[in-house]
Amino acid sequence: MKSIWILAIKDLRILLRDKSGFFFTFFYPILIAVFFGVIFSGSGGGSRPTKSALSVYVIDEDNTDISKKFVETLSKSEDLELTPISLEKAQEEVRLGNKAAYILIKKGYGKARENMFTSSSPAVEIGIDPARRAEAYLLTGLLLQYGAQDLQKAFTDRNLMRKQIKTSLRQLPKNESNTLSDFLSSMDTYLADTASSADNGSGGFKGFEPLKVEEKEIIRQRIGPPSSFAVTFPQGVMWGIIACITTFAVSLISERNKGTLTRLLTGPLKSYQILGSKALACFLTTISVSIFIMMIGVFVFGVKPASYLKLGIGLIIVSGSFVGLMMLLSVISKSERSASGIGWAVLMVFAMIGGGMLPLFFMPDWLKALSNISPIKWGILALEGAIWRDFTFSELLQPYLILTAFGLVTFIIGARLFRWSEQS
Amino acid sequence: MIRFENIKKSFGKTIAVDGISFEIEPHEVFGLLGPNGAGKTTTVNMTVGLVKPDSGTVEFAGLGFPKNPKVRTKIGVAPQTLSLYDELSGQENLECFGKLYGLNSGKLQQRVAWSLDFVGLTERKDDRVKAYSGGMKRRLNLAVALVHNPDYLILDEPTVGVDPQSRNAIFENIERLKKNGCTIIYTTHYMEEAQRLCDRVGILDKGKLLALDTVDVLIKKHGGNSAIIIEKDDGEQKIETQNPIEEIIKLQKETKLSGFRLLNPSLETVFLNLTGRTLRD
Repeated sequence: MKSIWILAIKDLRILLRDKSGFFFTFFYPILIAVFFGVIFSGSGGGSRPTKSALSVYVIDEDNTDISKKFVETLSKSEDLELTPISLEKAQEEVRLGNKAAYILIKKGYGKARENMFTSSSPAVEIGIDPARRAEAYLLTGLLLQYGAQDLQKAFTDRNLMRKQIKTSLRQLPKNESNTLSDFLSSMDTYLADTASSADNGSGGFKGFEPLKVEEKEIIRQRIGPPSSFAVTFPQGVMWGIIACITTFAVSLISERNKGTLTRLLTGPLKSYQILGSKALACFLTTISVSIFIMMIGVFVFGVKPASYLKLGIGLIIVSGSFVGLMMLLSVISKSERSASGIGWAVLMVFAMIGGGMLPLFFMPDWLKALSNISPIKWGILALEGAIWRDFTFSELLQPYLILTAFGLVTFIIGARLFRWSEQS
Repeated sequence: MIRFENIKKSFGKTIAVDGISFEIEPHEVFGLLGPNGAGKTTTVNMTVGLVKPDSGTVEFAGLGFPKNPKVRTKIGVAPQTLSLYDELSGQENLECFGKLYGLNSGKLQQRVAWSLDFVGLTERKDDRVKAYSGGMKRRLNLAVALVHNPDYLILDEPTVGVDPQSRNAIFENIERLKKNGCTIIYTTHYMEEAQRLCDRVGILDKGKLLALDTVDVLIKKHGGNSAIIIEKDDGEQKIETQNPIEEIIKLQKETKLSGFRLLNPSLETVFLNLTGRTLRD
C-alpha cells in the first residue's frame, strides 16, 4: 500500500505542476457549468405556464343550478382552462405540479347566492402552491371578477332578485320586525310594481362581497430544478471527471512511452500496485475536482443540495466508477495523442447523449431512452437525485449500482489488458 | 552470478533470442555487443523479468528468478529510453524511486545525495528534469538505477545520444562502480565502449550468441591478423601479419619505408569475421 501511495502522490505532484492540465481539470468544468447555467437560466428552473390561459381543475361540490352556472361562466373565460375532477385527485395533481391550482365551489354556494341579504357570501376555495404567488393572485382576481359578474346578473334579474328577497324574508325571525324586514318588503313591492316597466338595468345593491375566495396551500412536490445551476453544476462535475480520466489515461501511456513504466516494472513492485497507484491518484483527483466544483456551485451560485449525505455518496460513487474507464482508455490507446483523441471522442458522445450538454429533462423520449447506455447519464442522475430531484435512497440505488458495475467491469477489463500487454 | 540457460523468445514470427546460454560472473562488467535488432534489449528485459522467455531460464544464483521482488531490489536498471519524470526535479526523481525500493528517510537522503554526487548533478538537483541537457538526463538515468545501491547494474545502451563529455563521465562512473564490486551488464553497439569497459563480451547477432570471451581472446580467436599499411611513392601496400613488430623490422631492412600505419584487429573485425557484416550494417 505504501508503494501505491508513493506513486499516487508522485502523479498528483506532476498533475499540479502541469498548468494547462490543472486548468482543464479544475477550472474548465466550472466555466462550462457557469456558461450553460447562464444560458439555461432563461429556459429552465421549473415548469412555467406555456399558455396565456391558466389551466386549473374545478370541483363543483355544490352541484346546484347556480353553481353550475358559475362553472359555465368560468368555462367561457379565455383566461381560464378548466378541467373537472374530484377534489382528492385535484389536490394530488396540484401537489405533483401537473396543474397550477384547483377551484373548489363549496357546498352552499348556490344557497348563499340566493340568500345574499341574510347569509354570508358564496365561497370558493382555491388550492395552490404557496410558492406560486403570481398564479394565486391572478386566479383570485379572476374569481372575484366572475363572482362580481354573477352578482351583477343576480341584481339585474328581477325574478331572481325577488326570489332572493322572499327567501331572505322567510329566514328572518318572525318576532323581529326590524328595519331590514320592512325594507325588503318595500323593496319587493317596488320590484313587483315596476315589473312591467322597462328594465333599465339600474336596480341593484352595492356593498356586498360578491365572492369569498379562500386559499388553501398545496405544497407542490418539486419536479423541476430550482435553478439552472442546479442542473449545470452536476454537468460540470461530469466534465471535470472526463478531463481527469483523460489526463490520467494519457499519463499512463506517457509512462509507458517515456520508459518510466519499464523502470517501475523492473522495480520490486507488482503490476497491480502500479495500476492501483494510478487508480488511486485518478480517484483522489476526480473526487477533489468534483467536490471543488460542487463547492463553487453551492457557495457562489446558490445551488442547494436537498441532501448533502446523498450528494457525498453520489460524488464518491461517480468519481470511483470512472477510474475503470481511465484504465481501459489507457490500455486500448497506443499513444498520448490517441488516448486523448479516443478519450474525448468516446466521452463526448457519452456526454452528448447522457445529459452532459442538453439536460436530461429537456430530452425527447427517444433520446432519454438512448441515454441509458451512457454512464454520464447515471452520474448526472446520481448527483441530481441528491441535489434537486430529492430521490430516496431506493431511487438512487439504480444509478449507484449501474455506476458501480460500470466501474468494476471497465477496471477489470483494463487491468487484464494492461497485464496482458505488459507480459507480451 | 547470473545464469542464462537456453533462453528463447519470439515475437510473432520474429525470433528475438534463439537459445542462448551463458553465465555472468560476480563483479565483472559483461558486455552484450551486437547491431540493432540483435536481441540485446530482449535479453536484458528477460534478465530483469520484464519479458518471460518462451523457454529456458534466467536465474540469479542464490537469489532466484528475476520476477521475485527480492531479486529486483538487488538490480538497478538504466533503460535505453530515458526513464525519468520531466516535471519532477532530479532529487525528487531519486527520492521517488528510492522510496519504491524501500529506502527510509535517513538512508534515502544519504543515497540520494550520494547518487547526485556520483553523477555530478548535485548543483542541479532542484531543477526540473525537463530543464536538463541530454547528457545530464543520461547521468540522472544512471543515478536512479544506483540510488538503492544494487548489486547488479544493467545498462542498456547508456551512451546513446550523449555528447563526448557526458559519455566520458559515464565511462568513469562505470569504472568506479566496477572497482566497488558491482556486477554490470552493459549493452552497446559501440565496440570501442565494450573494448574499454568490459571484462568479457558476448557477441549477439540475429538472436544467437556468436562468441563469448574476454576482449583479448575474442580478438585473438576471431580478429584475424594485424595489418601494416606501408606508404610508398607509388601508393600504399597492405601486409597482414600475426607479428607486426617483427614484420616492420624486416621491412625496414629490406626497403626504405617513407611511412607506415599499423591496424590491429578490434571487436569490429571480430564481428565482421563472424558475420560477414559490420556492426553498423
